[in-house]
Amino acid sequence: MPESSLDSSFEFRLERMYAEAPALADADLFTLRVLDRVDRGWTARRLLIGVMGAAGGLIGGFQLVSSGAVGTLAAISARSNAYLTQHMSDQVSGVFAPASAVMNGEVLLTAVALALIAAGFGVARLIREI
Amino acid sequence: MAMAPTPKRRLESAHDLELVGLAARGDRAAFGELVRRHGSAVRGLLRRMGAEPSAADDVAQDAFLAAFEQIAEFRGEGAFRAWVSRIAARLYVKRWRREARVDLMADTDDAAGAEVAPGPNADARIDLEEALKALSPVERVCVSLCYGAGLSHAEAAAALNAPLGTVKSHVKRGLDKLRARLSPGGDDDQRSKVSA
Repeated sequence: MPESSLDSSFEFRLERMYAEAPALADADLFTLRVLDRVDRGWTARRLLIGVMGAAGGLIGGFQLVSSGAVGTLAAISARSNAYLTQHMSDQVSGVFAPASAVMNGEVLLTAVALALIAAGFGVARLIREI
Repeated sequence: MAMAPTPKRRLESAHDLELVGLAARGDRAAFGELVRRHGSAVRGLLRRMGAEPSAADDVAQDAFLAAFEQIAEFRGEGAFRAWVSRIAARLYVKRWRREARVDLMADTDDAAGAEVAPGPNADARIDLEEALKALSPVERVCVSLCYGAGLSHAEAAAALNAPLGTVKSHVKRGLDKLRARLSPGGDDDQRSKVSA
């Protein structure tokens, strides 16, 4: 037999020997350890996302409050409300009083908080999908 | 997307590719079945590369975690086992180079003896593990990368960050030693050479 054929036949045999894996006795335990680490990875990722979302929400909320945007919006809202009330009462006297449309600071902060929570859920879902 | 786990009996009879698809969609049990099927092979390869059992297990775990992270990239062009084995072998090489600080350029002929001594009992079956002990650590890693993990010489050279020629010569020397040990009558040949 030519030497090259002997070489390739030995190499083929060697590959086969490598492929013949001995079944290790603790294979099930090893599987559990890997799955445990997979789960820990997911838990850590979820925690990280949660912490980052909370930190982002706090920073965003703080920036919003400290910039005076709430007061400005409340003033604008109050002016619009007065304008609306005056004009609508001229048109439909006593039928509709849009008092519920007042945009004050509490309403705005609640809306911002809900938007942040929704955004947090959305980002968490998006990262999980990725 | 997370999904409801597939029944265990169905997983046991499923093909690797089907399990990969399920695992890519977040089925943890399907990935567990893949680990159960191929964990021993990956750990065995790392031990054959020269890793201590505990180190082999650590690297194998890291390799399966990496495989889980990248499972969507597995296109099924080769076997799943071969894919994970390549990941594990590369991870082990990184660790081995960091910890052992091996000089890949060193001539290893003296490390394990260029002339392979006959085995302790020529009639006894000499398995791969025993035969690999005749190789120097560098030869062992190079041969295992190419014949165990299925890397080409160029890929092995890239993984080892070594010149291609160096890797080829380590592989050749390792193969010569293994051939002397594993070929039918290899030990007899050695003995007859000694007696001549």
